[in-house]
Parts: sequence; structure tokens; C-alpha cells
Amino acid sequence: MNGSPHQRSQVPPGVQCFLGEEARRRRRIEERVVSVFEGWAYEEIIPPLFDYADVFAGPALAPRTYTFVGRDGSLLALRPDFTSLLAKIAAGRLADRPAPLRLYYSGEVLRYEPPKAGRQSELHQMGLEHLGGVGPAADAETLAIAAECLDAVGAADWVLAVGHVGVFNGLVAGLALEADALERLRERVEAKDGAGVRDVLGTVGATGGVTSAGVDALTRLTLLAGGISVLDEAAEAFALWPAAIAALGELRAIVDALIAAGLGDRLAIDLGEVRGLDYYTGFVFRAYARGIGFEVGSGGRYDTLLARFGRPLPAVGFMFGLDRLALLVDREALAAPEPEAEDVPSADVAGGLTRARALRAAGRRVRLSGGGA
Amino acid sequence: MSLTVALSKGKLLAGTEALFRAARLPFPEGEGRRLVVEADGLRFLFVKDMDVPTYVEYGVADCGIAGRDVLLETASDVYEPLDLGFGRCRLMVARPRGAADGSRASTVRVATKYPRVASGHFLARGQSVEVVKLAGSVELAPGLGLADCIVDVVETGRTLVENGLEEVEDVAVSSARLIVNRASFHARRDEVAALVAALRRATA
Repeated sequence: MNGSPHQRSQVPPGVQCFLGEEARRRRRIEERVVSVFEGWAYEEIIPPLFDYADVFAGPALAPRTYTFVGRDGSLLALRPDFTSLLAKIAAGRLADRPAPLRLYYSGEVLRYEPPKAGRQSELHQMGLEHLGGVGPAADAETLAIAAECLDAVGAADWVLAVGHVGVFNGLVAGLALEADALERLRERVEAKDGAGVRDVLGTVGATGGVTSAGVDALTRLTLLAGGISVLDEAAEAFALWPAAIAALGELRAIVDALIAAGLGDRLAIDLGEVRGLDYYTGFVFRAYARGIGFEVGSGGRYDTLLARFGRPLPAVGFMFGLDRLALLVDREALAAPEPEAEDVPSADVAGGLTRARALRAAGRRVRLSGGGA
Repeated sequence: MSLTVALSKGKLLAGTEALFRAARLPFPEGEGRRLVVEADGLRFLFVKDMDVPTYVEYGVADCGIAGRDVLLETASDVYEPLDLGFGRCRLMVARPRGAADGSRASTVRVATKYPRVASGHFLARGQSVEVVKLAGSVELAPGLGLADCIVDVVETGRTLVENGLEEVEDVAVSSARLIVNRASFHARRDEVAALVAALRRATA
């Protein structure tokens, strides 16, 4: 009944506890990011910690979700993600509110996940969703806000690597691939493993509709990452695939807007960026910075998710992991030493309390002393 | 700051050195026992072969050279932009010569250094499996009764024959791969791209 035996002070794997300087620093990062969200006129939403499990029923999230049975027998889940929850709320509670809805959140999600560099079972995510926002305007806005957040927390040498799932989808559209072969292909493209892409397509062969031009194009996709000129190379390489060309056009419009807004030198193009949660339908991005080997944030366009909840709206959003940002940001720049406090003796309880209340009323920080065990 | 490259001192070292020399990239000279070596603008880490992907995934090293067999086992989230062509070997299942087909047993007991690859291989075909993880000398296990078969890498097959084993089937083919940390690939784009291009030319 009690599971495996454990020591009295043992903690379960994946949980974290912060205090002192570390807690203050996390709070400071959160405040800065949230103030950027507020500055772009996004409205805070504090969604519930748990909801019916079917809200989170995507193939990527479901296996990582903590579920439990409610008293009425319904299957519930601790939120593994905010986006699905916000989509549900936009379609339900906020159904009468006209689109677009600009919402942001900051809070914990819970996932079964092996602990790994700032990715615990309990993760603090800070993000926003622009529901009803259409591209390229809303897409470019999203990237500009993400960029401002990275500056606001003092991240160094950061880059936003942008891609578009429509390029990969356009290249495979004509192929008759089994789901597992498609997944292996996607995984090899994501790894930028050209040899692996050829292997996967080789096992599918001509029966799957694979042509030599198709093999070359998908192999080429693994090389199309770098500066903005990658977009031109891709347009030339994928001329035979109109859906891929259309996706490149959308990406180009976003990139042009960001260059005009002064963010061109912060952009990288990565057309092999094809993973992510299964709900992305358009542009996608990941934020990287020097000093941490993992992305610190990610996002993209997901135009079909809200229809699942009965309010078909295009949407775009992103999130940062607070745990990752805390690993990344310059500890000096965001150092949060404990503020000074005035010691007030409290041996005389009434006198001490009276004095402390007077100091508090004057806005001072006080520490009652002498009353401890 | 120079790029950091994670290498193993195992079976890929000679091929790696030859490749770096062919690409006219710096490579440490007679570094002895040191595990961190600077050489003309590159910093080298020498670690266990199974640990190379870990150092790269966490970004402690920007790049590394690892066998595909190791990448399959560690399932690390890294870029693999180049098949370097050397260190070719196969991951395969082998069992004692003339032994009955293990797949008829309800559960196959397999000894291996590659527990993830081995269990994945059998489970995908609906075969229950018990994995015995060993750190080395895997070929001994069937003869001593520790396991029904092994999953291991084989280059020439001589070790198998000497231990009374025969290959039953391939699990995967392997060769050395250049791997790159995902953040380094973008945040240090120019330096990484130059290294990848130099190695690509030397491999072609």
C-alpha cells in the first residue's frame, strides 16, 4: 500500500525544493518574463492544476501524464501542459469572448519524465497563447516577445531557430508511408542524419512512392539549417513540392518582418526542426543560448488543436522552462542576495510587536529576534 | 572560446585521428593520460565510449564522435550530421552453434552491453526477453549458462567462433558518426559549420 520502503527524509525522484537565493532568483526571472508578457497586453490566466484526462489525450503527452481516478470514477490528470488546458478554456468558459485571445500563464506542469538538465517531473513553464491570431503577424509577434524575454532575463548569445513543419509534411505528402516508417523518417530528419534518412527511405522503396528526387530532397532537408540564406537554398531545392514551397513562403514572411524589426541577427533557420508536440501545423521555433546544451523555450503554430474542443481557431504560442532559464542566466546579473532586515528584540512581546508593526508601516523589513526555540 | 570535442579512447580512436589529420584539423599529440587536452583551437575530452553522447547532449562538449551502436543504446538527443564511414561493425544476435532456436522459449535470456537495443529488438517481435547487462566479455555468457544468446557488436566474427557462437541475425549496422549538441549547432553556428564542413570533405 505504501509502495517501496524509503527513509523518512527521502524524496521521490523528479521533485525539487527551492529556497533562499535560488528561490529569489527564480522569482526574479519569473517576474521579468511575466512583465514582458504584460507589456505586450497579454492577460494572465491561472488554470486548474488538474482536469479530465481526455483534455491531454495527445499521443506525445498521454504516456507522460499523471492520471488518477476521481471520487465519481472519472479519470483525471495533473496538467502535463498548459496549451491543451487553455484551448479547452477558450472553447468553453471563454466561448463568448471574441477572438483573438491573448493569454499567458506561469506555473508548474507535472510529467513522468526521467530527470535531466532542468527537466524534472515537476517543471515550471511560463508561456503565452495567441488564440485566433493569424500569421505572419501573430507568428512574428510571438517571436518578438520571446526575444524580449531572453534579453529581459539576461541570456547571452541566444538564437531563435525557426522552421516550418509544412516543409517536411510537403515533402512526404505523396509518399505512402506506414506510421512507424514516417516516425522513423521524422526522427532521422530531426537528428540531421542524412545517411539515416536514406536508410529509412531505402527500406520503404518504390512501393511507398519514394522517388530518387524525393530521397534527395529529404536528405537535403537534413542540411538546411543555418543562416537566413537557407530559405533561398530550400526554395530552389524543393521547387517540385508546392506544399513545401508554400510553407517556405509563410516562413519567409515571418523572417522578413523580424529582420525589419531589428531581430535578423538573432534568427537561425532550421528546416529539419520537425519534432515537437504532435499538434504543430505551421511555423515552429526553439530558443537556444550559449551556456546550456538544451533549448530553453519552444513554440509554434497549432491551427487544429482548438477544433478538438469545439472552437476552431488558428493559434500560436510558446513557453519557456523556468528551470532551464535558471540554469542559463548569468548568476551575477540576476543575483538575488537577501535584503537587509532590521532586528527587533521580542523578549518583551508587546513592545517588540508594537515596534515591528511601526517599522512595517514605514515599509521596513523586520526580523523579530529572541523569540526562537 | 574553442569548440570542445568528446572522443573515446576505444576502438574509434585510430580512425578518428586519421580523419582529423586528413581534414587538417588539430589533434592532440601523444597526450598520455590527460583527459582534457587543448590543441590549436580545439579542446578534446577523452571519455568512455558510452559516455560520449552524454557529454554532447548536455553541451559539455559541442561535438563528439560516437558509434551508431552507442547512439542507439543511449538514445541521446543530439544531431548526427555525418556518417564518418570508419568503425564499421554490426550489432547482432549470436547463440551457441547448433543450439535450438531460442525464439521458441517463452522468454529469451540475453546477455549484452546494449540492454535497450537488445530488449527493444526482441519485444518489437512479440518475444518476451530477460536482459542480463554485462560490462564486457559478453561472448562467455551462453557457454557458461548465464544466457541463451547475446546481442553484441561484431567486426570480423572471430571472437564468436572462438567462443563457440554463431550469428543468428542482424540487429543494426553501425559506423562512426559525428554528433553535435543541438544548442551549439545554432548558438555557435559558424564554428560548428566549419568543423562539419572540414570533416565532410575529408570523409567524401
